[in-house]
Amino acid sequence: MKNIILILSVSGTSDEALEFAIKKAKEESAKLTALYVLDTGLTDEVFDRFTDIGFIGDKPSTQLTEAIIKEYRQRGYEELGKVQIRVMEEGLEFNPMMVNGNFLECVLNAIKKQEADMVIAVRRKRSAFKRYFSQSVVDDLKEKAPCEVVMFEVE
Amino acid sequence: MKIEIDRRPLWLLLLLKGIRPLSFLGIAFVFWYLLSIPTPEGLTLAGRNAIAIFLVCLFLWVSNLIPLAVTSILAIIMVPLFGVLTERETFALFGNEAVFFILGAFILAGAVMHSGLSKRIALSIMGRFGDSSRGLVRAIFLLAAILSFFMSEHAVAAMLFPIVLEIAKGLKLRPGRSNYGKLLFISLAWGCIIGGVATFLGGARVPLAVGILKETGGETIGFIEYTVAVFPVVIIMLVVGYNVLVRLFPVDIPEMADTGGLLSRRLQELGKVSYNEYAVGTIMFVTVLAWVFLGGRLGLAIIALTSVVVLFIFRLVRWKDIEEYVNWGIILMYGGAIILGTALDKSGAAAWMADQTIGAWARTPWVVIALLSLTALVLTEGISNVAVIAILMPVGIGMASKFGIDPVIITFSIAVPAGLAFCLPMSTPANAISVSSNYVGVKDMAKAGIFMGITAWIAFNIVARVYWPIIGLGF
Repeated sequence: MKNIILILSVSGTSDEALEFAIKKAKEESAKLTALYVLDTGLTDEVFDRFTDIGFIGDKPSTQLTEAIIKEYRQRGYEELGKVQIRVMEEGLEFNPMMVNGNFLECVLNAIKKQEADMVIAVRRKRSAFKRYFSQSVVDDLKEKAPCEVVMFEVE
Repeated sequence: MKIEIDRRPLWLLLLLKGIRPLSFLGIAFVFWYLLSIPTPEGLTLAGRNAIAIFLVCLFLWVSNLIPLAVTSILAIIMVPLFGVLTERETFALFGNEAVFFILGAFILAGAVMHSGLSKRIALSIMGRFGDSSRGLVRAIFLLAAILSFFMSEHAVAAMLFPIVLEIAKGLKLRPGRSNYGKLLFISLAWGCIIGGVATFLGGARVPLAVGILKETGGETIGFIEYTVAVFPVVIIMLVVGYNVLVRLFPVDIPEMADTGGLLSRRLQELGKVSYNEYAVGTIMFVTVLAWVFLGGRLGLAIIALTSVVVLFIFRLVRWKDIEEYVNWGIILMYGGAIILGTALDKSGAAAWMADQTIGAWARTPWVVIALLSLTALVLTEGISNVAVIAILMPVGIGMASKFGIDPVIITFSIAVPAGLAFCLPMSTPANAISVSSNYVGVKDMAKAGIFMGITAWIAFNIVARVYWPIIGLGF
């Protein structure tokens, strides 16, 4: 049985990506995994800003990071729940996953574990200037993933 | 498998990979070049070296290639090494009153947070005044501002963020979509920013600026003298800020979902007011009174450190608690910034730079003040506000003597705008956490922030022109 992974994250989700994942899973009779990545990079960035620029001690910074992670986790459950309802409506086999860590590492691990045949990811639209000078993490994923990566852009 | 080929030019890919080592090589090369060129007319050898060190630190502070505190350590190493000040003079500058005042103020703020008093005050005020949708925005905005009068604005933002997040969730606001969500989080950030410039306690930048002023010109600014001069700007910014927010992000929730229950539950979880809260609150209150009435006679640092000792005598905090609330890198950062400022001043480099830059074409003190405040406002959007002080104060002090402006006025013109960064998450931690909530986008913050930045500059200059002469700060 084929495996398709739909990646969800705090940076953006797309109905279009979800519908595409469902369509593909139906066509290929594949199992659909929704992977929500709690990207610690985002919280680390805030943490660094607090310790380096704000000169705040460890405790307030840690409490703040925990609050952000808790919020992201709750949103993750909500997103996974929404996807699950939609996928169940279509009668597809569904596997929800939530992982905590670096976005790229988490996705590559999941691809390996699930032996995925296709990954569907969402990224934010970026200006041509930004695209030329820096790669997004989804671009990195495209380079490193051992399977097809389909990308959707959101505003 | 579909293989995507990166079609960007090879030179660009290599440049992107090697940008960090190349930057350090570039810094070393520019530094070496500056030391090898003939000393310009009117500048001493020590002055030239001081400028070279200053430019290296400026680049590192702006680029954040290494932490701010480590850049300061670099300044501490280079100033005696290149003969700008002696080793003895350099390290003696760590004994500056400002460094110890900042340390004392941060320890006191840590004690207030550790006791739970600050959270109790926050929940009580939000619960009491946040009974309507606009009322809640006002409560968060003013509460953040008022708390930032007494403790670091960054600490206030960190403390209030989880509460505001819970409120947003309780109201079922949609991240990134809800105007009310944007309102709540930008109110939090802007309240902290505006309140943070009102007193010496809102951040360490004002004590740092006063520290550099004292080392270079021998003058100082009192606790109450500062607040009296700045308060009209704070009031204008609070009024304008609130009105800008509610107009740019009109309330889009029905009047009013129940947040009172959530806040009172959180308050109940804190239990009864403890002995520690009473005692820490009393010590903080007495300390502020002492800063206001005895600051000039006893010194702000002496008062702050006395209060710290009292905290430990009454066992209100343990050293371990304080270690968790204070980032000791601040001592290095501020000590280094004062050393660099003094090195530029004593070597004559500050006056020379002032002559070559704004001093070359500015004609009146009024223009100097307007340009310095504008430069501080623009720079603070891109770099840490502490770095802005470290960069602009030496040049500003140099300009004071050229134009016959009181260095105290120059200090105000840099220290106040340096704290008013409204536009970008990179400008200040309060903005960064608001954006990290995902309720506010970078575009939302920039859109509203540009207007606030312009307003801040106009308000500051009007207050400087009209109000300051009335309180004896004419120019």
